[in-house]
Amino acid sequence: MDNGTIDKILDKYPRDPSSLIQVLLEIQSELRWLPKRALEKVSKTLNVPLSRIQHITTFYKAFSLVPKGRHQIHVCTGTACHVRGAGRILEVVEDVTGLKPGLTDQDFKFSLETVNCVGCCALGPVMIVDGEHHGKLAPAKSKDVLKNYE
Amino acid sequence: MPRINSPAELEEFRQDIISKRGPNKPCIAVCTGTGCLALGAAKVVSPFKEEIKKQGLETKVDVRETGCPGFCERGPLTVIYPEEICYLQVQPGDAKEIVSQTIVAKKVIDRLLYVDPTTGAKTVHESEIPFYRKQKRLLIGNNIKVDPKSIDDYLAVGGYAALVKALFHQTPEQVIEMVKQSKLRGRGGAGFPTGLKWEFARKSQNETKYVIVNADEGDPGAFMDRAVLEGNPFSVLEGLTIGAYAMGAHEGYVYVRQEYPLAVENVTRAIKKAEEHGFLGKNILGSGFDFTAKVHRGAGAFVCGEETALLASLEGKPGEPRARPPYPAVQGLNGKPSNINNVETWATIPLILNKGPEQFASIGTEGSKGTKIFSLVGKVNNTGLVEVPMGITLRDIIYELGGGVPGGKKFKAVQTGGPSGGCIPAQYLDTEVDFDELPKVGAIMGSGGMIVMDEDTCMVDVAKYFLTFLSTESCGKCSPCREGIRQMLKILTRISEGKGKESDIGLLMELAESTRDASLCALGGTAPNSVLSTLKYFRHEYEDHILHKRCPAGVCVELYKAKCINACPIGQDVPGYLSLVAEGRYEEAVSLIYQTNPLPGVCGRVCTHPCTDVCLRAETDEPVNITKIKRFAVDMAKRRGYTVKLKKGEPKEEKIAVIGGGPGGLAAAYSLALMGYRPTIFEELPELGGMLRYGIPAYRLPRDVLDQEIDFLMRVGVEVKTNTRVGRDITLEQLQKDYDAMFVAVGAHKSLPMRIAGEDLPGVKGGAEYLREVELGTAANPGKRVAVIGGGDVAMDISRSCRRMGAEVTILYRRERKDMPASKEEISDALAEGIQLKELVAPKSIRKTDTGLVLEMELCELKDFDRSGRRRPVPIAGAVVTQEYDTIFSAIGQGSDLMFAGSIETKGDTIAVDRHRMVTNLPGVFAGGDAVIGPARVVDALSHGKKAAVEIDRYLAKKAGREPHAESLEKIQVTMTLPKEVIETPKAEIPKLNPAERIKDFAAEVELGFDEETAKKECGRCLRCDVSWLAARDKSMPVAG
Repeated sequence: MDNGTIDKILDKYPRDPSSLIQVLLEIQSELRWLPKRALEKVSKTLNVPLSRIQHITTFYKAFSLVPKGRHQIHVCTGTACHVRGAGRILEVVEDVTGLKPGLTDQDFKFSLETVNCVGCCALGPVMIVDGEHHGKLAPAKSKDVLKNYE
Repeated sequence: MPRINSPAELEEFRQDIISKRGPNKPCIAVCTGTGCLALGAAKVVSPFKEEIKKQGLETKVDVRETGCPGFCERGPLTVIYPEEICYLQVQPGDAKEIVSQTIVAKKVIDRLLYVDPTTGAKTVHESEIPFYRKQKRLLIGNNIKVDPKSIDDYLAVGGYAALVKALFHQTPEQVIEMVKQSKLRGRGGAGFPTGLKWEFARKSQNETKYVIVNADEGDPGAFMDRAVLEGNPFSVLEGLTIGAYAMGAHEGYVYVRQEYPLAVENVTRAIKKAEEHGFLGKNILGSGFDFTAKVHRGAGAFVCGEETALLASLEGKPGEPRARPPYPAVQGLNGKPSNINNVETWATIPLILNKGPEQFASIGTEGSKGTKIFSLVGKVNNTGLVEVPMGITLRDIIYELGGGVPGGKKFKAVQTGGPSGGCIPAQYLDTEVDFDELPKVGAIMGSGGMIVMDEDTCMVDVAKYFLTFLSTESCGKCSPCREGIRQMLKILTRISEGKGKESDIGLLMELAESTRDASLCALGGTAPNSVLSTLKYFRHEYEDHILHKRCPAGVCVELYKAKCINACPIGQDVPGYLSLVAEGRYEEAVSLIYQTNPLPGVCGRVCTHPCTDVCLRAETDEPVNITKIKRFAVDMAKRRGYTVKLKKGEPKEEKIAVIGGGPGGLAAAYSLALMGYRPTIFEELPELGGMLRYGIPAYRLPRDVLDQEIDFLMRVGVEVKTNTRVGRDITLEQLQKDYDAMFVAVGAHKSLPMRIAGEDLPGVKGGAEYLREVELGTAANPGKRVAVIGGGDVAMDISRSCRRMGAEVTILYRRERKDMPASKEEISDALAEGIQLKELVAPKSIRKTDTGLVLEMELCELKDFDRSGRRRPVPIAGAVVTQEYDTIFSAIGQGSDLMFAGSIETKGDTIAVDRHRMVTNLPGVFAGGDAVIGPARVVDALSHGKKAAVEIDRYLAKKAGREPHAESLEKIQVTMTLPKEVIETPKAEIPKLNPAERIKDFAAEVELGFDEETAKKECGRCLRCDVSWLAARDKSMPVAG
């Protein structure tokens, strides 16, 4: 973990507690997780106790205190996707990756999460891999999508 | 990038932009909202740009990447201006053709146009496409016209004119007055009057005030705000700036959920551009008013959509709501007065100022003014965003705009208002959508999410789904929400796993009430809504799960091993017997089938197979042809001389009467006989069979097959009294005296009247009655010219019977072929036999002439949707045709003849029963089959018969003080392995006699049956969902094939 990265992010925001969530979002996006060292730095710089940061990182779903894989899989389980069979898609993805939501595989290749609605309900069921949306999925198709990722 | 310093400069700048564009300058607008991007819109934009460049048209043609116009179902969307030609589902390969044909040659490309699914007509212009035309797109209509990255585009469509009005021609109080007069209510869900809320903030005395955009659109299934913020961010900023002026705020925040990265990007860029041009920042447009806005991202917490939680999150804290008062207007962000409004609310403000509040208030209902954007999703054909005036009905939204439910499935409910909302069933589809009407039916409008659900949705699962969602999103601060939701979820989970108790429903209601009344914020306060509304309208589903451990929709996986077994009313072990047949173990297959089905040879020929309709093999290629395998197994076993061995229970003394010798009565009598009783069937006709014999013709169900199967059942120990009609030869009261219990299964054999003049003329007959006469041998020849009015199975049977009697037959149906209730196979078989089908005709009157009967018919067209979810046929004025026939049959449905019923309670023309116990109002008198549920399937009657037998035994056993009969079934060893490999193979179709041969002989069976090789191969297509289910729950089970 490069201290410079964290500093660059912290410089973008006012140095007070209200910037906490925005800063953490950027660190999460950059490093794919929130290492303790990073949180200690943020705590010092923004003047927020580490215990409050702990509260926040466990309250909001966007944050991960463990490293994530190279490829983030988000299977949407919003109501529209649920009604259209997102459960089956999730089953297939769990099968292919060997993961359950919240987990990352041994090689840090894939991390699997469910997400509650990304606003593409017309395309349901939807799966997002590394920010790329894959819609109108049939269970077999979701298998094929994942084959393309190294 | 000029900074604009006065309204005059703004107008000059605007005119400049507009004139440079020219009204006739071609523009290719491609939707690049998140939805279309997911469908590949980015890959469509580049070929357009390349082609334009290649043809040297860069200065002459614009390519615009726009916001989302809402027709997400047909994306990627492209609109060509100035003609406004709309192309749907555009692929990258189409770009070249569109440029050459439409831009250069001004020709329309037919294949990319919208096609009306009913009429087949094509629509060229965007605004004329029915999906758009029936909307009132005041807000979202601009999305396809603007590139969210371009402030010029926003100005070209009139942007920022409202801000000028506010800053330079009105005082803040006047602005608030306008908003009040418009009667705008917040679009986030609570519907609080916006003008009033602004006034509170205005009245709070403080130097520092904040205005905030709530773009934390967390309701799953709702994406209206995404489209507005992503697609037209300047409209939201303009509204926000006007609000800031009105309330006296100089700082604003746009709180966007991080799951909307494109919206975050677009609004951040829009703020920057607005600042550069002088629409934000110091001295806006030279007015002296300062206002800046910042974007703040959410971090994945649904509860942050609640305003006090949002404020906490803005302050960098966990998103936990707090008590109100004090309201944010008094004490908000950082303790300062703050006004939070939803994205759509803010975007509506410029609209109100531009059009004037009276115009805005002229749209909508008394209590809910203006238009609202809804996200119409789920089991609906045209998924997308629709903007409609308040007061439109649910039916219009779902059917006229949404195009109804896909796949021919039945509508079940529409869920509105997100997790805080409720499910509305079909009988309330005419409810007007607004803030006040929907709560009357137990739902809320909420932020605008509308999720359509069909027969394959389980409502217990829906409640469980929402509670699962809310329990993970609950902030945990207050016990009623945190614990209440958790406990309700526990109960629902138990119910969905078959572990429900009768007391659960009462407990759920209690928990629901306390959670609702005691929670701190609306998350907990509205969490019980999904449970309460599904209990209110779908209590029977809860009861099925709890009392019968059954999930009728086939969703709750703990309750069924395979969808086919679950969909079968008698629970046949389909994968079991398919496996046995594949191995050539026909005798065991038949024994297995007989454990639940007493008439398998019959069912194998005539069942309408709900199993095949849900077969998961269809996801790979086609469903397995289950019914015909069943027939094959029975035929093979018979050929080998096999008879099923049955085990009878201890003889029992009680006397039981079964009224009706159709499938319901036969199944009941057989089951009772197996238990050790000796029941008596009373049948008014000369032979047993009911509709099987006196309805279904011999060419579909050979009489030797029927006789043999019935004979086998009766030999178990049933006494039969044919030619005996209850009510004529013996009274119900006498039977009640002589017998200890009774099962009434008289079916539905009376044709419903058509209610037209002349229907009582000789030669006009009821279809069901005629089929009976044909079987009895008393039917008069129908003549050469026959008309059959109706579209169900009876209509098909009548038509095909008459055809075999030498007639030319025409079926007259008032809707279209796809709407006919008859099985698809029956319809194609009928047409193959040379029977004519006239669609969209309704009978008007019949009169007699010397040469026959003249039927007057009205030609119909399909209009709005009715309660059945199909378009209503309406006679076209003056379009009347006449045709002469020898015989006219009415086959529009059947009812029961309940003249004998005496003191048995009836409901309309069916017998009323407690559906769990199959018992009528008279103790010891049970009923089932068509007489209770109306004309249904053979397999429904079989199910009722068996159930009734169990209930009768339970009733008699209790009376006698003994234990009810315990069914002991032979354990048949079925090989439990998964198929080795799955290769795409179509379904095996059953060979049939050729149509010309068929109609020569009434008794010639049309279906010929499978040969052994085909049958075994077809069985091999079964995916053995039962094995996967068991293996998933028992890891030690070996399943390799």
